[in-house]
Amino acid sequence: MIEVRNLVKTFGIFRALDGLDLTVQQGEVHGFLGPNGAGKSTTIRVLLGLLRADSGRVRLLGGDAWTDASALHRRLAYVPGDVSLWPNLSGGETVDLLIRMRGADPRASRRDELIERFALDPTKRGRAYSKGNRQKVALVAAFATDPELLILDEPTSGLDPLMEQVFNDCVGEHTARGATVLLSSHILSEVDRLADRVTIIREGRVVETGRISELRHLSRSRIVASLAGPAPGLAGTPGVHDLVVDGPQLSCTVDPEGLPVVLAALTAAGVTALTSTPPTLEELFLDAYRDRAGVRR
Amino acid sequence: MIPMTSPPFAAGADRSTTRGWPVLLRLALRQDRVVAPVSIAVLVLMSVASAAATPGLYADEAARVHAASAINASPAIVALYGPVLDVTSVGELSMSKMTVLYAVFVAVLFIVLVRRHTRVEEESGRTELVGGTAVGRDAPLLATAAEVVLLAGVLGLLTAVGNALAGLEVVGSLAFGGVWAGTALVAAGIGAVAAQVSASARTCAAVAAGTVGLVFVLRAVGDTGPAWLSWTSPLGWNTQVRAYGDQRWWLLGCYPVLAVALLALAVALRARRDLGAGLVPARPGPATGSPRLADALALALRVHGTTLVLWTLGSAALGVLFGMIAPGIGDLLDSEVAQSVIDELGGALVAAILSIDAVALTYFAVTVVSHAGRDEQDGRAEVVLATATSRGRWFTASTVVALAGTAWLLVVTGIGLWVGYVAADGPGVGNLVVAALAWAPATWAVGALAVLSLAVRPRWTVLVWAWPGAFLVLALLGELLGLPSWLTGLSPYAHVPSVPAESWDWGSAAGLTAVAGAVLALAWSRFRVRDIG
Repeated sequence: MIEVRNLVKTFGIFRALDGLDLTVQQGEVHGFLGPNGAGKSTTIRVLLGLLRADSGRVRLLGGDAWTDASALHRRLAYVPGDVSLWPNLSGGETVDLLIRMRGADPRASRRDELIERFALDPTKRGRAYSKGNRQKVALVAAFATDPELLILDEPTSGLDPLMEQVFNDCVGEHTARGATVLLSSHILSEVDRLADRVTIIREGRVVETGRISELRHLSRSRIVASLAGPAPGLAGTPGVHDLVVDGPQLSCTVDPEGLPVVLAALTAAGVTALTSTPPTLEELFLDAYRDRAGVRR
Repeated sequence: MIPMTSPPFAAGADRSTTRGWPVLLRLALRQDRVVAPVSIAVLVLMSVASAAATPGLYADEAARVHAASAINASPAIVALYGPVLDVTSVGELSMSKMTVLYAVFVAVLFIVLVRRHTRVEEESGRTELVGGTAVGRDAPLLATAAEVVLLAGVLGLLTAVGNALAGLEVVGSLAFGGVWAGTALVAAGIGAVAAQVSASARTCAAVAAGTVGLVFVLRAVGDTGPAWLSWTSPLGWNTQVRAYGDQRWWLLGCYPVLAVALLALAVALRARRDLGAGLVPARPGPATGSPRLADALALALRVHGTTLVLWTLGSAALGVLFGMIAPGIGDLLDSEVAQSVIDELGGALVAAILSIDAVALTYFAVTVVSHAGRDEQDGRAEVVLATATSRGRWFTASTVVALAGTAWLLVVTGIGLWVGYVAADGPGVGNLVVAALAWAPATWAVGALAVLSLAVRPRWTVLVWAWPGAFLVLALLGELLGLPSWLTGLSPYAHVPSVPAESWDWGSAAGLTAVAGAVLALAWSRFRVRDIG
């Protein structure tokens, strides 16, 4: 659905995107992660034909992002991270305008149902909405029809937890009917919950990409155990880090290849309680950056 | 940001609602560091050029008196410039355009400054940011008032010194500087009150502009009819101060009194409303959109609809007013001597009115184009262009509304002039709509330059606003200083025949339209490929 190869975009002397690759397959929710200024929004603007790539190949929905822009936009919906509305248009008017501008009919869409679910007052003027409510206007317009591709750039900023839940449900409904979603976000738990695959970028380059489950294999698990007998001598065992022994309590982080040894040793020492937490996306995220910054432990 | 090194407030300070205003004053001066000096310099330059050049236009006192009498004999010129109260005064004749008409530009500058530090800041949410700090509720308004007093003083002083250096009498020049400073203060007061009325910065501009228009019309009617009406208008005071005659110094005191009263009104209104709100609570809008509101052109019409209606009403009213004042022109045009005098003053009468009107109406195009620029900076253009709306449609929508809207307003002005003219039993009424439309190609050319500025760089909004004013200044200075024709000819307005005094010229109309078309094509070739945002 989206295929970006070796994308370069510069602003003056600043190289915002430096050979970025991004592949989003049909029907998946693809998490797009990176710190502020990494180039997420720039990538999305290139995908939407708003910015012109300096070099590289940018295809989406089988067309060229730049030359076929307005034809492709009929088949996708976009929600920016910071929605700005027309001050004197009501929310309802804005929703209908955006739906009609994509070539769909608001009266045949789910707009009323979504306005209700997002608890949006459609009669308020654009200037009177809070940040969260402006975001809702854009979300309702995007979710009301059945686009093939949803491009969401930090779409839940400003939404309260209840509305985040509605957002998650909506993404689920759209993927259930086969839509593809590119979800750029800072909220890692949200990506963790929704995304099938993620791409982590930094300074305009991809540092990590793949299925979340695969990425987890690359990182460590955290193990906390209570022991009946004396603690085994795990110090120096390959793949074991951060070992702390405090009486009958033992905790450490373990690389995937070190797990069999550690589990065998713990069993031999008479383990009475054991918790093993998979790495959170935060840890993947931090790991990816540490790799780059060269400060990995 | 300005470096805020000195601690702005004493620890444990009072709960004054104006606390922290000095910091905001410095911030305001920092924000206006280009706009304010450049605008003030241009205004002073125009006054000084008038002061230096006008006496040389006339051979002797008799010629001057004759010219001043011709001004007073023509209701339309009096309506535009105000009368020359002392026909023997060199200063009054030299300042005939400056006293009232160009004082309107002073008023506009100060309204713009006040608006951008009050309602624009509030609408953008920056006032909220400031309000969250240890700054008092009334501090933004007080800081703006302090900035205005400072800048009005600078403007008045520089104008006085400039006029005196240009050869006009010193005491009169001081009084004239006082008149402009006073105009600035009153305009700022009007702006401060207008900023309280509505939650929208655009409505603030419309209310303030409408008030200045009303003040101008009151004076125009008073100067050509019941004289007491002129005394109700601060712009009427400008003439009545008699800066270069027997000065009425006490009248200069009325400006600050009125300005303080307006500021007090603004503070009182401010206390009655919530931050970000207007006096009138916003009406709820429709819950669904009209099926017609479905493309970029419909959106542009919807966004600019109210503005266009207000401009239409204003154009019609001013057209009718000047149409009613204009009869007498016919008689005057018959007199060869009067004709030559009036030509020296800037062309035939209706043509003179239209030449000012055309520049003013170009600003409708400018507001539409600059609005498109703000749509782009704020991200609304991005949302539209992420739909099936192509760049071409978005670009065309704003351009069409800007240029067709200006042509429409010229037609309305022409009809208004005609209606007023007929109502006042003017002789030989002809094609005033055609006369008005003769200016359309020139306004398109200037509008196209505004479009080009934004097509090159979305942040060049200041440039968009500068085009019509720059051409007006060029025309005025060219006339006063005898600049070479290739230089004054850079202005599209300089190529419009003075219909109805001259005949319609297909060549200039076609030429200017072609220039507008070429500039738009250049703008599109750039906009088509550039980055949005």
